[in-house]
Amino acid sequence: MAGSRVDCKVVLLGKAYGGKTSLVERYLHDRFNAEMPYQNTIGAAFGAKRVEVDGKLVTLGIWDTAGSERYEAMSKIYYRGAKAAVVCYDLTDDASFERAKFWVKELNDNEEACKVYLCGTKLDLVQENRKARKVDYHMTTDYADEIHAEVIETSSKTGFNVSELFEKVAEGFARDPANRQTVQISSSGPQYPSTSFNKGAENFQVTEQGKSRGGCCS
Amino acid sequence: MAATAEVTLPAQQLPPAEAIVEVTPDDMEGSAPGASEDHMLIAAESYEDINVAIDEQYQRGKVGDEKDKGKNEIEQSVRKLSIDDRSTTPSDEGRETPKEEVSAEGKERSNSMLGNRDRPQHVEEECYSPEWRQRQKHVFILSEAGKPIYTRHGNEDKLVTTMGVMQALVSFVQDNDDNIRFMIAGSHKFVFLNRPPVILVCVAHSAESTQQLLLHLTYVYNQIISVLTFSQLSKIFEKKRNYDLRRLLTGTEKFLDNLINLMDRDAMFLLSAVRCLPLASSIRDIIGQSIAQAKAKDLVFAILVGRDNQLVTVVRMKEHSLHPADLHLVFNLVDASTSFQSAESWTPICLPKFNSNGYLHAHVSYLDEECSACLLLLSADRDVFFELSEARQKIVTRLNKYGCLQAVRESLSKGSYKVAQIGIPDLRHFMYKSKSTAQYTSSELEAPYMEEGERHRLFGMYQYLHHRVHNSARPLKILFHVGSKETMLGWITSGFELYATFGPLVTKPAAINAINKLLRWIKKEEDRLFILNSYTY
Repeated sequence: MAGSRVDCKVVLLGKAYGGKTSLVERYLHDRFNAEMPYQNTIGAAFGAKRVEVDGKLVTLGIWDTAGSERYEAMSKIYYRGAKAAVVCYDLTDDASFERAKFWVKELNDNEEACKVYLCGTKLDLVQENRKARKVDYHMTTDYADEIHAEVIETSSKTGFNVSELFEKVAEGFARDPANRQTVQISSSGPQYPSTSFNKGAENFQVTEQGKSRGGCCS
Repeated sequence: MAATAEVTLPAQQLPPAEAIVEVTPDDMEGSAPGASEDHMLIAAESYEDINVAIDEQYQRGKVGDEKDKGKNEIEQSVRKLSIDDRSTTPSDEGRETPKEEVSAEGKERSNSMLGNRDRPQHVEEECYSPEWRQRQKHVFILSEAGKPIYTRHGNEDKLVTTMGVMQALVSFVQDNDDNIRFMIAGSHKFVFLNRPPVILVCVAHSAESTQQLLLHLTYVYNQIISVLTFSQLSKIFEKKRNYDLRRLLTGTEKFLDNLINLMDRDAMFLLSAVRCLPLASSIRDIIGQSIAQAKAKDLVFAILVGRDNQLVTVVRMKEHSLHPADLHLVFNLVDASTSFQSAESWTPICLPKFNSNGYLHAHVSYLDEECSACLLLLSADRDVFFELSEARQKIVTRLNKYGCLQAVRESLSKGSYKVAQIGIPDLRHFMYKSKSTAQYTSSELEAPYMEEGERHRLFGMYQYLHHRVHNSARPLKILFHVGSKETMLGWITSGFELYATFGPLVTKPAAINAINKLLRWIKKEEDRLFILNSYTY
């Protein structure tokens, strides 16, 4: 994949209307537009941001995927080779957490090296009205322990915990010895080597061609 | 309704050609304005899909034709007409009668994992709502088992019974080895398109002919294919006849809504053609070259489209041409969603005419902050996002260097051209399609067509004109139609289709003269109005 300009591929997964796009908008552009009507993502949108971890620069390439089920069969395109997955669920929608569990399983089955971060969204709604909470915090942490993931609850509206989430992702990546060669010293210019990422992608292609996924109904 | 009511005077019909030949310069036929040998787009005819579909059914039908010629009872209860004067023919799909299933399915709700739609158990059907009944045009999609998939107005869950009736109608006629095409009841037309595994139905009281409504349904069907591909769609229903397709179509409703709304006002569908953004040919050449230079692996099409569905250019792989119907779906994708405006996107899209069984992968991005032009790079390879992203960056740099994006923005802000520029008194508006290039041009809508209602009425008049000249039973070459509010002229030659609106008092010779003048003007401007040379990879 010549020209990829990313060290750490991060993929956002989760049910439609779960707040993935708002999360990315807040993180990349620090904006949140409450007036804008809901727009479902088509396919996936890509954005990149450079962050500094322990004096080293890491470029996060963030894939904001569509939540609609019809992309499920193609979701591999988006999450393969990902170093981290932010699996989002809407704190006011218990079904969205079930969907999150589906994605965790999918990642565990296909992308073992991918670190999972469970991200509860729309925290502001729950803080406004306790009764709106449909996903219990302790239940999510219990589940996270089980799958060796981290839980973080965010609000894209207020910005609470959003950059913290992505900092965690970047730190998790940079401090993982497996990724040492891709992380560079911040003074060495704007080249973004991405060797390990490339290898991963190539390996995947081989297996991918072997088994074609058929329909997506179960 | 308003539009058809206006058609009070019987349309006068000129004897084909003769009257025209004297006043038409001889050379006009040979070099129709905007004609080109270029194969950027496939030269598509209006209704070509419909005719093909009917031909196919006709061919298939011939096999089993003799076995059941007995006229069925439905003809007594339903006034059934067939398009093209051909008797409707049997379909060879094996199917059991799912009538009992319908009621059972009405109760059985799929426990969709998404569960984000309200699915009340007992709801009053939409058809009791007067507001719903008065809608001018309804479009429904249901599965062959009668399960609601989509409705343009109202909520599918409140249409379980209504769609059950539609499914019953279709399957009842099918049981007699026949196909229901349409019914007419009072001012309402009921048009059916049976494309297993889905059934599409349009119910309208509007200016459109049944063929035009069938064309709408074909587009709606193609939109579904564009999202799912035909192979995926049929596989799903092979596995489970009962499948609730809405699960897979969440988020697609707005594309269907937008497409149907567009078809109510944009002539590109009717004409099977695309409108180009007027640009100096030198600028368009630079744009084409810049895009063609930024090659990437398996890049099949690069499409640059400006606001309001105006094509800037298409660069394509040499061996492939783009069908206008596919391009219309691409336009609809861009037109219906603002989600491409914030970031580069990577999405699968199926172009049904190109390949209805597979996806292309589209890199979609706007080229400037104002979101004036959207670039789509369509590749057969699903792994080339970053390559395409880089190609896009090169394109943007080049286009900015030569001031092309500025030129695009200027042309967009200027809008189309005023008919006064052409200097033909009495001419109010026109649409001209160059057949060989599948492109059309039209002047801006001006007074007295500034209000929505009047625009709608005028569009209805164009639909009527189009219907008359394309009537397969009795096609016309030229039609001079005197209405109470305007006089209209439709003219079809081997090279072009022209539809023009004049003031109500214009005489026939004056209109013919004006048209000749107009053709000369279009010829003079053809480099700016049409894409005559395209670039290839």
